[in-house]
Amino acid sequence: MADKLRTQQQLESLQNKYIGTGHADTTKHEWLSNIARDSYSSYQGHPSLLSYMAIGMGKCEERVRAECMEKMVLPVGPKPEVEQG
Amino acid sequence: MAHVQQTQSFYSLTLEAPSAPIAAVTCNAIPGLKSQDQQIFEARGQRLYLHRITENEDRTEVKVSTVLEQNVFGVIRGVTAFRIPGTATDQLVVASDSGRMAMFNYDADHNTLKQVHLETFGKSGIRRTVPGQYLVSDPRGRCLLLASTEKNKVVYMVNRQPDSSVRISSPHEANQWASLCFGVCALDTGWEHPVFAALEVDYAEADADSSGAEYERREKHLVYYTVDLGLNHVVKSWSDIVDYSANKVFAVPGGQDGPSGVVVCAEGRIYYCHDKSAPLSIPIPRRSGPTEDPQRTRIIVSGCLHLSKARHEFFFLLQTEDGDVFKLTLDIEEDAQGRKTSPPSGMNLKYYETFPVGKALLLIRKGYIFVAAEHGDSKLYHVNDLAEDLEFEPWNNFSSDSVSADPADPYTPTYFTPRGLVFTSLAVSRPSLHPLMKTKVENLTGEDAPQIYALQGTGNRSLFKTIRHGLEVSEIVSSPLGNIPFDNLWSLKHRASDEFHAYLLLSSTYGDKTIVLSIGDEVETMEESPFMTNRATVSAQTMGDATLVQVHARGVLSILESGALNEWPAPAHRTIVAASANKRQLLLGLSSSELAFFYMSEDGVLQQLEEMPEMSGKITAVGVAATPRGQKQAKFGVVGCDDCTIRVLSIDTDTPLEAKSVQALSDVPTSIEVVQMRDPQANTTIDYVHIGLASGLYLRATIDEVTGELGEVRTKFLGARPIRLFPVQVQSEQAVLACSSRSWLGYNHPQTSLYTLTPLVADQLEAARPFVSEHLRGMCAVQGQNLLIFSVEGVEGRLSSKAVPLQYTPRAMSRNPWYPLWYVVESEGNTLSRATKRQLIAAAKTKAEGQNGMKVETGEKNGVKTEAEDDAEAEELERHLGLSRAPGHWASCIQVIDPLATAAVSTIELTENEAALCTTVVAFESKEWEVYLAVGTGQHLKPGEPVTGDAPKGFVHIYRLSEEGRRMELTPFPTPIYALHPFVGRLAIGVGNELFIYDLGIKSLLRKTRGTVVPNLLTNITSQGHRLVCADVSESLTYVVYKPAPINRLLPFADDTVNRWTTALALLDYETCAAADKFGNLFVLRCPPQASSEADAPGLLPATAAAASSSSTSNRAGYLGGTAHRLDLRAHLATPDIATSLTRASLQPGGGDSLIVSSLHGTLSLLVPLPSRSDAEFFSQLESLLRLENPGVAGREHLGFRSAYVPVKGVVDGDLCEWFMGLKYDAKAKVAGELERESREVGRKISEARGRVAF
Repeated sequence: MADKLRTQQQLESLQNKYIGTGHADTTKHEWLSNIARDSYSSYQGHPSLLSYMAIGMGKCEERVRAECMEKMVLPVGPKPEVEQG
Repeated sequence: MAHVQQTQSFYSLTLEAPSAPIAAVTCNAIPGLKSQDQQIFEARGQRLYLHRITENEDRTEVKVSTVLEQNVFGVIRGVTAFRIPGTATDQLVVASDSGRMAMFNYDADHNTLKQVHLETFGKSGIRRTVPGQYLVSDPRGRCLLLASTEKNKVVYMVNRQPDSSVRISSPHEANQWASLCFGVCALDTGWEHPVFAALEVDYAEADADSSGAEYERREKHLVYYTVDLGLNHVVKSWSDIVDYSANKVFAVPGGQDGPSGVVVCAEGRIYYCHDKSAPLSIPIPRRSGPTEDPQRTRIIVSGCLHLSKARHEFFFLLQTEDGDVFKLTLDIEEDAQGRKTSPPSGMNLKYYETFPVGKALLLIRKGYIFVAAEHGDSKLYHVNDLAEDLEFEPWNNFSSDSVSADPADPYTPTYFTPRGLVFTSLAVSRPSLHPLMKTKVENLTGEDAPQIYALQGTGNRSLFKTIRHGLEVSEIVSSPLGNIPFDNLWSLKHRASDEFHAYLLLSSTYGDKTIVLSIGDEVETMEESPFMTNRATVSAQTMGDATLVQVHARGVLSILESGALNEWPAPAHRTIVAASANKRQLLLGLSSSELAFFYMSEDGVLQQLEEMPEMSGKITAVGVAATPRGQKQAKFGVVGCDDCTIRVLSIDTDTPLEAKSVQALSDVPTSIEVVQMRDPQANTTIDYVHIGLASGLYLRATIDEVTGELGEVRTKFLGARPIRLFPVQVQSEQAVLACSSRSWLGYNHPQTSLYTLTPLVADQLEAARPFVSEHLRGMCAVQGQNLLIFSVEGVEGRLSSKAVPLQYTPRAMSRNPWYPLWYVVESEGNTLSRATKRQLIAAAKTKAEGQNGMKVETGEKNGVKTEAEDDAEAEELERHLGLSRAPGHWASCIQVIDPLATAAVSTIELTENEAALCTTVVAFESKEWEVYLAVGTGQHLKPGEPVTGDAPKGFVHIYRLSEEGRRMELTPFPTPIYALHPFVGRLAIGVGNELFIYDLGIKSLLRKTRGTVVPNLLTNITSQGHRLVCADVSESLTYVVYKPAPINRLLPFADDTVNRWTTALALLDYETCAAADKFGNLFVLRCPPQASSEADAPGLLPATAAAASSSSTSNRAGYLGGTAHRLDLRAHLATPDIATSLTRASLQPGGGDSLIVSSLHGTLSLLVPLPSRSDAEFFSQLESLLRLENPGVAGREHLGFRSAYVPVKGVVDGDLCEWFMGLKYDAKAKVAGELERESREVGRKISEARGRVAF
């Protein structure tokens, strides 16, 4: 039992430290949001990828970066309603 | 570990480093320079650069020279520079993908970056929560902050220790769960506690709410983080809601210089915010004009602060996304001491200039503005005026009076009219290649080496470039010499100590004559000269103090300073065939294979050595080492004979003509020069023998100072003609010019200090010599029938290019198979087409005229003057200002480019909101192989937006290639067309996920067959025989075989196991494909032999046949939702740049084929197949040894960097191997020792690996 508690605590500390560490009840929406946030962060972090997208979109890189940031707020829309009961 | 040997390994080499700036800051890193003399610290790709701006006294010549270039083997994301109080130079800090903060000092003695600190704070890689996206430093140099896009921020405090070392604190974290960081800056607080300001959005509530209402209520905060230096921690000290669209913050000077606080830039507005005063706001003025959308708002993309600490004055220069730069000033009351530190009462903007959109805008204290341009050449502008006079262009002044600082309140937009440069002038434009959209390697001009044809740039600053490997030559004088072909020339000084040349001798073996020209203010023929003119000259030299020596076939004529002539006749029945001299010694080769040696005594008389040793074969070339500085005589002479040998002889007067060593060659030596050049490793000068062979091969070897043995032989094939060598001076460094079918310059590269051979971009030269006169400093040469005087401008770059301007962002190109013509398709999203623009301007004109008939000023096109004048002027201005944007509109055209004439021959504008996306030249079998141009387009495309409503459609246009390029056909398709390829006399078209084969009919394209071949969207096709390779937008490659009639089907038979977002594709051979993806990976895929042979067997594929018999109608019968077979991955490499074109070609005559990769940020690189197993083993061993030497100065592990997405496979990083050349002596010896080789031998192998295939 103590072992189980310890594992639980370790998992919690991991979840606190690293965003995106899953748990047994991770929903599809959580998982998707997480992946999408990672992706948007990666797009602006890799300079050549940001240029590639900016040229494709016909915008300047700073605007594309700001848009990527903004998409990170709620990348895949609000989470679905959970049915009570 | 067992060493697994690949069947084929590749060696990756960078030919041209990326030119796209990632970040740039000004700094004072070089010790001993004035604080005015700021340098630029710039990051491009994986390299760091330190540039200096040098100018002459009256500032007419300005240069940006690169002091340092360092490859860090990691993705650089940000740089900053700051001065720790009490230290002499700036510390340079780099944020990369290493999860570490790297701090450097510039080490001027060794010209390297010296690592001061390397602190780990997180995982490696570019991750959401690992800091590195933002990097800022406190203006007073006390601490620095790195932030990630989400949650994490880390602060390091730095200070100087009494022993003048730099101490760094442990990291202080300021993490906030679920908060996104949009921008960071370091506040100027004077000497109070440092404060960092961040723009943050908390998404916790929006994430938890399923109704979406919380998302609508989200807010952006300006948060202050105070670094408490006393308590040694970081606290969130203040936070306020700001405009939700804010994207950038700049710090306002504080302390004695200003009120402190931040300038927050948002969509359409700029705010001033601080915890001690009320916010202010000013709208960003919008462009006015009939072609501008008055509702469109701009954001600020870059900016810089100018602070005069002496006068406590400051202003900002802020650049919008259109490139317009505004000067921002604050209205501040002066306090009792005359300081402007009270809260500001207003903000003012003044339109300053329009520059190319910058990644960074730097104001340099010397009076320059450096724009590190996002696209195209980075530019340095000279500042003539800082727009301090408000009376000048008063309509361009804007103020914040009566503008509410509440983002929710509406504001009245302000407008201005952009114009050409007024306050600044262009000083330097640094050549660049980014963004490189497409390249093709072709030899259209019949030169020795192929040219690279490139599409570069975006918008109307796009260019079509012809890139050559070579140095640009600026021709000063070219004057005809008459009908007699001259084959050699000499420039002589009258006295050895003279600065300028006095005589120019031109010799013609054919005409057996010499002409003498005098060099003064002008170069004129000397009628009365002491030289012998009725014979061809073999050699000429100023010897001793002032004796002019002319060697001709029948003897040696020496002209003493007194004017007296001394003649030494050649022995009877013998002629002089070769000669070489330095200041004191003269060596002659006679037709009888004898060698004659002369020594010049102090009185200027040549003394002959009695002995005339006979050589083993006919003498073809001799070379004498130049007299070493401070000595009377050189030690060695080199003689080449027609038995393919060269001999090193001592020419010391003590042991004259004593044989020292012999070296066998592959061909007859035609020219030998012994030149003293700087040895970059030892920093001393050593003698190098340069040997040119009749076969066009060039060799360079060192002579051992004691034994006279030749060592370190390097060879290179230069051209098809026998080589002739000429020692010259380039930028006061010794160099060698080798003339073959091309002329090559051999010099020590100023940055790498490696010996480099680069061709000159000039017609074939016969001979060349240095030429120094009072007005000119360059070289003179015989070029065909002309005497050419020229200079080599710079030896820093190795590529030269010619550019043709294009109208819009180029997307694809295709060449005419018969003529040197290129067809370029261009399209620009969210931009008004030319026709719409004309309409709008005409409408505005009639409206204005209708109103009051006054003189109209309509921004980009002002409607007075004659129309032609007006058009040309407007076009130039439009090129400067950029295209007019309008959402939902497309501008697109097809241009025919003649690269030889460097001009656009014809232009066809597309209408109906179409965008040209791809093109190919195709010969239709049914039209008797007549050649047509096919252009694939998309209509109503929405870049970067999900497809809704009016879905985009596509067309294929077919043009007949005639004088006017008439359009013949227009075939509609349901989706945009991204891929076209000629396929056995027909046209292969990618439509969505389907591949179609079309033939050309009378009225339209006729569909012959179709097949669903890829999962999503076909973006690229290539083919060989009946095999097609198709690239999907996200799911790698699919091999497809076309089964001709009667089966007439397209059958996919092999695909990949992983997703790859393919951007470029090239066939290496029938089975193998090289491709690149969006994340910067390069990979080689090969079809398994069984699948390949099955596909080529007649009849249906076994799998398809089985599926057909089991009543399935689909021809995608396969395995696990794909095709029947899977491709093998043969090689994989991650680069930080996205490849846009791959070509298999040979860049050099005699060199083997390699894969030429051109990437978006302007990288040109190669994947060279390693020819032998032993080479592959050697280089991979060298690579793994060098990895241990810690090449990643920014803290990134090399193996991790090259395996960012997929483990590196079958590729040796040539850049890392070449890094060996720059290692210190002992590190080199250590690595070479592990390889059980000499370090010189390792160096030779590395330079040969490059020299064999490329430059």
